[in-house]
This record gives sequence, structure tokens and C-alpha cells, in this order.
Amino acid sequence: MIESVEFKNFKVLRDATLPLSQVTLIVGPNGSGKTTAIDGLRAAAHPHSAFSELQSAGHHAGSDEPSVRLRWSEQFENAITTVKWDPGYAIFHRQRDGHSPLAPQMEPKINAHLNALRRYCLDAPAIAQPVILHPRLELTEQGGNLGGVLDQLRDQDQERFDSLNQELCRWIPEFDRVFFDTPESGYKRLLLRTRTGGHRIPASQLSQGTLLALAMLTLAYLPNPPTIACLEEPDRGIHPRLLRDVQEALYRLAHPESFGEKRPPVQVIATTHSPYMLDLFRDHPEEIVIASKHGMEARFERLSDRTDLDEILQDAHLGEAWYSGVLGGVPEKS
Amino acid sequence: MKVAILSESPADEAALQILVGGILGKPVDFADRPLRLRQGGWPSVHHLLPTVLKHLHYQTDTDALVVTVDSDNSPAHNVAVDREQCSGAGCRLCRLHQTVDRVQAKLKSGNRMRIRVAIGLAVPAIEAWYLCGIDQHATEAAMLRRLKSEHHVDVKNALKSQVYGTHRPGLVLETSKAVEAASRLAGSLDALSRHFPCGFGSLLSECRAW
Repeated sequence: MIESVEFKNFKVLRDATLPLSQVTLIVGPNGSGKTTAIDGLRAAAHPHSAFSELQSAGHHAGSDEPSVRLRWSEQFENAITTVKWDPGYAIFHRQRDGHSPLAPQMEPKINAHLNALRRYCLDAPAIAQPVILHPRLELTEQGGNLGGVLDQLRDQDQERFDSLNQELCRWIPEFDRVFFDTPESGYKRLLLRTRTGGHRIPASQLSQGTLLALAMLTLAYLPNPPTIACLEEPDRGIHPRLLRDVQEALYRLAHPESFGEKRPPVQVIATTHSPYMLDLFRDHPEEIVIASKHGMEARFERLSDRTDLDEILQDAHLGEAWYSGVLGGVPEKS
Repeated sequence: MKVAILSESPADEAALQILVGGILGKPVDFADRPLRLRQGGWPSVHHLLPTVLKHLHYQTDTDALVVTVDSDNSPAHNVAVDREQCSGAGCRLCRLHQTVDRVQAKLKSGNRMRIRVAIGLAVPAIEAWYLCGIDQHATEAAMLRRLKSEHHVDVKNALKSQVYGTHRPGLVLETSKAVEAASRLAGSLDALSRHFPCGFGSLLSECRAW
């Protein structure tokens, strides 16, 4: 697990440290560095491809070097890896800090862990698209390939596919099963069967919320999910009463043992603007990070580090307290 | 008899349906479209209870309402003082009762019978009730003592771990354990009332008075 990420000169994150848990929910106003933090993590995983993006964001020769430093947990020998982008030469350095050498297998282990990081910003039209079949389909950043991924799951792990269907019934009771058809040669299309009448509704006719919920659910039920899943607003488009289920999907990824799963845990980093979503984490303030913007700089603060939290909350919802501004992480006065 | 339940989660609601059924000892109809609170129930109960009471009174044929809420870190109920004083000290049970009295005093009755209300306060959370009869420390008094030395969130998470095997249970697991515990407790309601005299005892006696 990555315990924290230190950003220097990385876009709006001029000098900021993001503390991380197994599940981290980042809340804050627009432009407060939530997405940039996820971009930074992805850049640390794929430094070469991040270079041009950094150049287009205004980094150039002579300006301060952007860097992202990752502090790893004990499982990774408390390693510290730093990625720096030298603007003049388009090179990066990934180095290990600390005094004692890492075990020889640790460097590739860290690299493999980072390479399997995925970012998701689910988008209903992308989810609804028919899928060109391929032997090893993966959910795309927008949730594309969903039909193919579910089709693979049905073929390779029927029991897991059935469990997903059961959960789908609980989340969206008007549907009872995922089906597939072939709209044209080489393509697979997703359909949901209505509980009443047994009508098969193609993905393109489903509501946005249903598609987004199904993509979230699928992610949680993948047999081999990414090592680190960064989710942009997983609550978007979903009814507030379903947010508990969305939280449960995040926990299923991050704490598989709590759900009878035997796979390794996923480190989940999610962003939100939803006070309702925040309410669900009231008993886990260590999982909430408040992002704030100060002028042109952004900063992060773990909610459990606030010593006045009990006093502030009392009769208030956590989400309302955040919305009001007493916890920070709201837009500045214009 | 038609009863509405206002609780923090569908799992709590499933357990309360069994407990209320056990208390009343007669067939009970529960609302098809359940009332639900936002997570972190107390602020919701506090704000929503007047609206819920008015809705049930004017727009439904509901006979009774059961409300339960976690005590979290709120002051304990004090039987030695009157409701106003206890409410002023922050007791959630008395604050809710005051809200019910205040709202119901303003409702136009016409032919409508006043909705009977029973309120439960789980100290510090409903999982403490589920452990009654299993863990000898699962009593209101023991929980209140524990809350003096431990943060309420830590106590609640520890109780969840004890009941569900994890402090992040999924809703299916939470509901099945809640139903299992409530089914067991429905056969020993007086014991549950004895061990949780303020939080569950008051709910029991109010339901029995209907």
C-alpha cells in the first residue's frame, strides 16, 4: 500500500502531501487538486507518458522540477520512491530513498504494483457501447468494454457472475440478470432483464445511473482488479440511497476478506463532491482527506487529524459540516 | 396494526421488525416504502422526525411509529431528573420525546387517531443489543463505562467486528446477522430490557402500552 504521496511543483500541487489509507475519499472544491493527485499517481506509474502532459501543463526547461514521492507501507519494506521529471531532457528518475537496501525482488514488485494502477472516470455512454470482442478485455477508464468484461466473467467464473447478478437485484431491484447479445459480427452487447415481464433492455436504453451502478458493481466483482483503483466521483449519477452500496463496492475492493473474497486487497482512492457520500464515512474519519485550495496552491488534510472533530459534529451531519465550510475544503470567496 | 420504522439502515429495520413483532405479539404490517435516515442517524432523526410525524399523520393510515437511533457519544439518559432537564443535558431519548410531544400537540386530529410512538436509543449502537445474552459485557451500564475511556467510534467499530467479524460489513451480512440476533432476542425481550433499561426498556414499555 502507498501510505502517502508528496507532490512538488506538480501542477496545482506545488508542495502538498496526500495521506492515504486502504480506502481514501478525497473531498474538496473544484480545482483543489483531487484529480491532479490521481494524475500524479498515474504519472509516477508511467513517468514517460506523463512528461508531455506536464509540458503541456506549463512545465518547461528552467522551471522547478515536478516530482512525486511515494511512501510505501511495511509490506513494501517502507520504501520511498521518487519520480522527478527533468524538463530539459525528458527523463525521469525513480529512486529509492532510505538507508538499508531493498530486497532484490522489491523493486520489480513495486513497479508491478504501480503499473497495475488504474483510474476510472465512469461515463454512461462509454459503458453502453457494444464491445469488440478480444480475449483479454479490461474495463477502460470510462467504463468501456463493460459488456465484454462481464461476458468474460460469465465464461470464466460463473459463481462470481451469479453473485454479481444477485447484488444487481439488490442495488437495482427492477432488473434481475445481465444478458448479452451479438448486434453484429465480432461485437457483444449488454442487456439487463427486467424482473417484471422478463424484457431484455439493451444498455443503450438503460438509465445513466443504472449503467454507472453496474460498472461500479462490476469493478467490485472483478476476480483480478487493479492493485490501485483511483475513482473519480463514483457516486455521480447514483441515487443517494444507493450510495451505501457504492461504499460497500469500494470496501469490497479494499477489504476483500470482509466479503469472503480471497484475492489481494485493492488500494482505493476516490474523489467526491457529495455530502451524502461523506456521511457514510462518519465512523472512518481516517479514510477522509479534505482538499483545500489556498490561492494557486492546493493542500490535503486527513479528517482524523482534526482534534476538534467531535466538537464540530455533535448534532450535524459530517456532509453538512463539510458543505458549510467549517471543515474546510469548500470554494474560496471570489 | 400498521407500524412505520424510522431507523438508520435497512439492516436495523429488519431487526426492529422482528423485535417489534415480538413485543406486540400480534400480526404487524410494516410500510412497503420504508422510511430511511441518512447515515450518521442522529442529525437526521433530529431534523426529520417532525416531517415524518406529519407525513404519517396526514398522509397515511399508519397506527404507530418506532424510532431508534444510536447514542454515539451523547450524554446518557438520567432517570433521576425530569425529561426537560435530561433533554437539556443532551439526552437523545428525551430530546426525541420532546420533539414528538411538541409536533403532535400541533397536529389536527379530526377523525385521525394520534400516532403512537415508541423510541429506542442503542448505547452506543444497535450491535450492543445484538450481543445481549452472548457477551456478559453487553449491557447499557457496561457500555456507558466503556465510553468513558474509549472513543465512541472505536467502541462502535469494535462492536461491529464482534457481531459481523469486520467493522466494514456489507449490507447482506449486516442484515442476516441483525435478523439472526433479533430472532434470538425476540424470545428474551425482558432480558434485553433488563440489560438495556433506558434504550431498549423504554421502547419495550412504550410498545406494550399501545
